[in-house]
Amino acid sequence: MKTFLKVVIFSVAVILFYAFYANVMIPQVRPAPPPAEAKLDMGSLTMEQFIHMGDEIFHGKGTCELCHNPVGGRAPLLDQVGKIAEERIKDPRYKGKAKTGEEYIRESMKEPSTFVVAGFGVKGTNDTQSPMPVVTSGAIGLKDFEVDAVIAYFQQKAGVTVTVQLPKETPKATEETHVADPAKSGEEVVTKYGCGACHKIAGQQGALGPDLTKIGAKKNKDYLRRAVLNPNADIAPGFPAGMMPPDFGTKMLSGEFEILIDYMVKSK
Amino acid sequence: MKIPRLLLFVIIVVISYGIFKAPGILLNQPIPSSLIVMYMFFAVVTTLLWITSTEKDMQGLVGPIKTMIQDPTKKTLRNIVFVIVPLVAGGITYTQLKPSYEAPVELRSIHPAPPSTVKAFGKTFNLATLVNPYRKLEKEDPAKFTQLVKEGGEVYFKNCFYCHGDKLDGKGHYAHGFNPLPLAFTDIGTIAQLQESFVFWRISTGGPGLPKEAAPWVSAMPVWENFITEDEVWKVILFLYNYTGYAPRSWEK
Amino acid sequence: MRLSSIVVKKNLLLKMGFTVALFFFVSLFAFQFLESTKFFPIGVDTVYAAEQAVTAEKPAGAEAKPDAKKEEYQPAPKLTEKDYPQVKGINGRIMAWLVAQLHLWFAAFVLAVPILVFIVEIIGMATKDKRYDKMAYEFIKVSLTAYSITAVFGGLLLFTLVIFYPDFMRYMANIFSPTMLAYAFLFFAESACLYIYYYGWHAMEEGTAKWVHLTIGWMLNIIGTVLMFLANAWVSFMMSPHGVDAAGVFEGNIWHAIHNHLWNPLNLHRTVANVAYGGSIIGAYAAYKFLSARNTEEKAHYDWMGYTANFIAICGLLPLPFAGYWLIAEIYAYSQQMGITLMGGVFAWLFIIQAVLIGALFLSVNYYLWCGMERSKGAERYTKYIKYIAFVIVACFLVWFTPHTLIMTPGELKALGGPYHKYLGPLGIMPAKNTAVNIMLIFTFLSFLLYRRCNKIATVSWAPIGNAIQAAIFVAAIINICILGIYYGYFTNTVLKVGSSVPQVASTLFVIISCMIIDVFMFKGAKEVAPLQWGKIPDRSQYALFILAVSFTWLMGLMGFIRSAIRQHWHVYTVFRDNSPDAFTPTIGYATKVVSIGVIIFMAIVIFIFWLAHISGKKNVSQGAHH
Repeated sequence: MKTFLKVVIFSVAVILFYAFYANVMIPQVRPAPPPAEAKLDMGSLTMEQFIHMGDEIFHGKGTCELCHNPVGGRAPLLDQVGKIAEERIKDPRYKGKAKTGEEYIRESMKEPSTFVVAGFGVKGTNDTQSPMPVVTSGAIGLKDFEVDAVIAYFQQKAGVTVTVQLPKETPKATEETHVADPAKSGEEVVTKYGCGACHKIAGQQGALGPDLTKIGAKKNKDYLRRAVLNPNADIAPGFPAGMMPPDFGTKMLSGEFEILIDYMVKSK
Repeated sequence: MKIPRLLLFVIIVVISYGIFKAPGILLNQPIPSSLIVMYMFFAVVTTLLWITSTEKDMQGLVGPIKTMIQDPTKKTLRNIVFVIVPLVAGGITYTQLKPSYEAPVELRSIHPAPPSTVKAFGKTFNLATLVNPYRKLEKEDPAKFTQLVKEGGEVYFKNCFYCHGDKLDGKGHYAHGFNPLPLAFTDIGTIAQLQESFVFWRISTGGPGLPKEAAPWVSAMPVWENFITEDEVWKVILFLYNYTGYAPRSWEK
Repeated sequence: MRLSSIVVKKNLLLKMGFTVALFFFVSLFAFQFLESTKFFPIGVDTVYAAEQAVTAEKPAGAEAKPDAKKEEYQPAPKLTEKDYPQVKGINGRIMAWLVAQLHLWFAAFVLAVPILVFIVEIIGMATKDKRYDKMAYEFIKVSLTAYSITAVFGGLLLFTLVIFYPDFMRYMANIFSPTMLAYAFLFFAESACLYIYYYGWHAMEEGTAKWVHLTIGWMLNIIGTVLMFLANAWVSFMMSPHGVDAAGVFEGNIWHAIHNHLWNPLNLHRTVANVAYGGSIIGAYAAYKFLSARNTEEKAHYDWMGYTANFIAICGLLPLPFAGYWLIAEIYAYSQQMGITLMGGVFAWLFIIQAVLIGALFLSVNYYLWCGMERSKGAERYTKYIKYIAFVIVACFLVWFTPHTLIMTPGELKALGGPYHKYLGPLGIMPAKNTAVNIMLIFTFLSFLLYRRCNKIATVSWAPIGNAIQAAIFVAAIINICILGIYYGYFTNTVLKVGSSVPQVASTLFVIISCMIIDVFMFKGAKEVAPLQWGKIPDRSQYALFILAVSFTWLMGLMGFIRSAIRQHWHVYTVFRDNSPDAFTPTIGYATKVVSIGVIIFMAIVIFIFWLAHISGKKNVSQGAHH
């Protein structure tokens, strides 16, 4: 028992010595608290948070990176667009209304066909028509302040002065949660979710994805359901994987989904 | 002749204390007392470990103390020791706890962890990937590089040398007015251990740009982004390394 | 005898029953939880999944591929404070921290012991020395109770995480569920192996049966290692996520998530540290038994056991700095930001504490070896060298723990003229520390060499040459290390600076390996000066073994904190943010208090285990005597 006590006292003394050393002999530096996370409180948004938001939109919600990446070569790279934009306005082919780089970028996002960078137009249109969807409509549906955030991000990335103004006030909550009316027909679904940006379907002329005007003749219902919900499960030959947004399953209403599938099956 | 172990122990302790104090007395570079405490602790412990590692020496160390306590003939010595030891202990406790007018210990980190991004010159820089745009000219265009270093030197002598000194040794005209002194770039432990992006951050945002966690900061370094351009900062960095002969820390050959 | 065997069987059934029941309970809970992650709160998916389940019976179309039902993965959730359940009076983070740490300590111990036992058993078979077998059996007996306690803490950890961090666990389960199931099944296999290994020890003691027994021991170790590697995958994924995109969406390949950047460095580091740790705990056990031994025979046995355990601990300790160095280098390579957080900022002070602890480890290991020389009269030839070794080790140690940032009073600061110290400044950076630690390792090895030959005189004809070669290797290596450290460390660019630590380490390893080989041949058939008397070692030396065990435990707790804390406010670094109220990085004092409390709890339980082993041993002895 005596040994037992001795050993216990000794061990506890060693532990206490270490604790004492770490608490008394070592300066107690208080680490900085975790940085505040960007909140969607527009009133008190800082430019840094705003730029960060643009960054996230570019890589996420805006789906911009699907085409504007160095791998596919489908669309121009945008690292330096903040700088290049000003040169574009001076291009003799440019016919738009933009006076500044900021306006040019905004215009190219809202009206992509105003100016198409040489070699990136829809095939056969001699660079007069852009394959890019309008980012404020359809499935992407960016709000104006989100477009601004992306522009701020581009300008910051290119190292030029950020000219975009911060949004003045929080957009109304109703606007944020506003749900569009359910689409009633196949064409409406296609328009609502911007399928035509990439696919040839329902009279739209997208050229990035497979032609879907005769898809019903080739594929059955199961295949089409899977192709929408999990686009990378099967890849049509000649098209790269990972291009189609994988989140239609979470966006579409189930009624719309059924309408779309029926529409495609009937497209023979 | 073999020195009695107890005496040897005392001698070693005294000598080690002398060694740790010597830089302060002889070379005017005192070792901080907080460090001396730890140095002494381990010196004493190791000496004890060595002496107690053999039974014979252990007896040599403990024997005299035991005799002093137990031997009836050593009564006078015992009484003297029993009076002195508590007095010494009390004295040490008193000096330790006595309130003093000295300002509390300050903690200065020479290498504060840099933030991942730094805002300067109205832009955001990513410190992990930031490089000196002119560094590559050292190999590609030595003539241009020499020219830039010279321009950097001009920036230095127009702005920095008042404090950091004309030999970059931290002994400028106004240096003695500061506590702590301006950094001496000629020392191996300063810019030679840092990446250029780190130096860029320190120059551009100065004392006020230091991270909060290493407070309290005492630095008179101005926020240079308000006075010189981004370009000039890069050039003066070239000059600092060129003059001292150090290479910036880098992860590439 | 019959009675005691029944007691043993009952004991076996009880323990097995207990562990299995506990395990069932825990896994039931886990399955429930994993199951619940499959329900996504959305419309089409669920409808589709249900429909798919119904139509799965029918022959699928020609295009349908087997992976068509591939699960969809969600991005890492963005949580708010409200997503972290609060239990009144309990701090979730401290709870999870302590339980995880306790689980880890016990797991490290129970994983290490089978490795040691397996090696000792082989040595016993090779040398036909029954002592080894007896000791191996005693080792595994000690670890058996610890095994159930590991499981208890594992279960407790799962509960704690599910209660306090449900969304985090759901996310992890979504990615790692297959490995979690594999983990559960392997745990069964591990238990089976362990019980057969332990309870079959005496039944399989002779002839071919011994080989079967050894094979089971081998399997036990393999399964144990795989278990640890799986758990390491989860932890290292949190530090260096792989196989997920920037938003945390899992790309579907689980091997990518397992084989992330830090997985292998962590595997190596933990395996080596486990061996050292297991050795140190067994050493403490032997030391306790030594101190409470009643007769010389017992004393001799536990002295020998303590020595062997300490030897194993040193074997694990020597390569540990290098494994740690690799891990840190990989952390830097993965994310410089994380590396700077680790080495440059707040945590820099933790490495000063670590230096003190490792210094304590080295000093106590050396002290134990020096005291061990008392076992033989022949050691008197060497005791005079102890003081030089002690001097070098303490000098290196002081260099090693000199901080880069000095704590100075304003008066000292004024006297010095600034924060930069002319003489201590250069000692504060890595080259000095690398040099010091390598020399410290070499001199610890020298202590060991001296100890080895304390009762022997080499009889081979080339002994003087052998000694000279060994001395030359030592001197050359030390000079090499100093040149590398001083010249390359201070006067060249960073690449060479960091690179120079590799040849330093190589020099140290070369000394250890080459001198060991020379020594083994030189002392083959050596003459004994005086017999090695096991048990003839002063009691105070045993406290060195306690320091070793306690410091090791504390150090593991501290380093575990750093490893986890450099993620800062992230559950999964840069992917899944921790938004709980406890996401802040605590001060060092706070962290070390938690670690100290953990160590005290751990030590209390370990003492309890030792006590159990003690009374069960008593019972068997008395019953054996009865019949």
